[in-house]
Amino acid sequence: MSSTPVYIICSPRPQVSKTLIARLLSEFLLLKNGDVISFDINLKEPSLVDYLPRITETADVIDTYGKMQLMDRVIINDGVAKVIDLGYHAFDEFFKMCDEIGLMKEALRRRVAPVILFVADTDRVSARGYDMLSRLIPPNALVVVDNEFVVRGELPPAMSRTRVLRCRALPVFLKTYIDRLNFSFTGYLRHEKDSSTELHQWIRRNYTTFRDLELSMLLQRS
Amino acid sequence: MAKPVVIVVGADKGGVGKTTVSRTLLDYFSANNVQTRAFDTESPRGTLKRFHPDITEIVDMTTTADQMKIFDTLSSGPSVTVIDVRAGLLSPALASLRDIGFLDAARSGQITFAVFHILGPSIASLDEIAETANFMTGAKYFLVKNFINDTQFFQWDQSTYNSYFHRIKDATDLTIPKLNEMAYEQVEVSSVPFLKFVANKLMNDDAANYSFVLRGYVRHWLANVWSEYDRIKLTDLVGAKSATRGEK
Repeated sequence: MSSTPVYIICSPRPQVSKTLIARLLSEFLLLKNGDVISFDINLKEPSLVDYLPRITETADVIDTYGKMQLMDRVIINDGVAKVIDLGYHAFDEFFKMCDEIGLMKEALRRRVAPVILFVADTDRVSARGYDMLSRLIPPNALVVVDNEFVVRGELPPAMSRTRVLRCRALPVFLKTYIDRLNFSFTGYLRHEKDSSTELHQWIRRNYTTFRDLELSMLLQRS
Repeated sequence: MAKPVVIVVGADKGGVGKTTVSRTLLDYFSANNVQTRAFDTESPRGTLKRFHPDITEIVDMTTTADQMKIFDTLSSGPSVTVIDVRAGLLSPALASLRDIGFLDAARSGQITFAVFHILGPSIASLDEIAETANFMTGAKYFLVKNFINDTQFFQWDQSTYNSYFHRIKDATDLTIPKLNEMAYEQVEVSSVPFLKFVANKLMNDDAANYSFVLRGYVRHWLANVWSEYDRIKLTDLVGAKSATRGEK
């Protein structure tokens, strides 16, 4: 039986497009597998649950009860991929908990495959966050998201040690367009007849990137 | 025949975590394949027996009959005996051991004797150290700072602490770290040894359904406690070889 992937999209910084990546990935997994469970751990940022209310649950890691509610759902090999949109304020607490409860070892035992998608930025807080993760997470489970809109082509060299996913920047008017709460990436692909539009190609490129990531993770585990 | 080992866990104060420390000791010996028996002096109902019923017997240490039950059988059963001494009974228990000649036997090397003295949050606990010190010739003495219930009491003045601590020659101090409250509570409710909780098992070894998060907290905490026991070379003290514990 294959492992169930758990994608954790994170950054210790606000406004680096974590929720955008989580939306894209959740919609991709929903399109590909027909099922996905997303968890929104954002109290202070634009929220995944507002965009994808049918597949998203809210969670918190403030207290032990919240941690149990989240992690006891996540650590199950039920074949349904999970996406966690981890708000910047919960970054330290979440990974401290992962370290303390031995998440990576237990996940291996239970055939659950956490993949940490670290959304990069060029500041010191991000550098420290990445450094902490690279000590905690095996290299094959740690992926850096190079979001051109945030990093502007200046991804810190230290963050290139692990796999890097590149996400191209969209023009501001398109960014505003996809930020509308009722916008669906898959819906756009289905309904926009002109596949040459910049947004069409951007979504397809990102979906292809996720498909490649999934495939390479699958090969690593097999 | 291996030399008998007696480990007394006690304090003159209640609620400082004596039974918790005893439980971690029994789990530690179990993981290291050291045959152990335990006596719970919380007569008539013992907390330790609730968690380790197979190897624990409830005794009343103030009675001669139960003293005989413990000390006259030292050479016949498992080599290690852990005694969880009820609150307020540590000094009287040590006095009894002196009176029956047990402390002399420890001094002459016939028996290995160790005391885990659990310290409480007040200066009274430090006075206990001075009181207990009189009985400690020939014994291994461990002062246990128990942080499990997150008390802040060890922010004492260090020089005051040292002045008490150094009254006992060759005393070793140990730290029991804090365990997440919910995790601790869940193990209490489950009434199983920490090891079984970590392994997600009921008392009868059937599969349980404990929270992964709480099990993780207990696993992490127990590993830290055991690293303290490894640091003081507890397996050497009881004459056992340290086993490869693996991922319990």
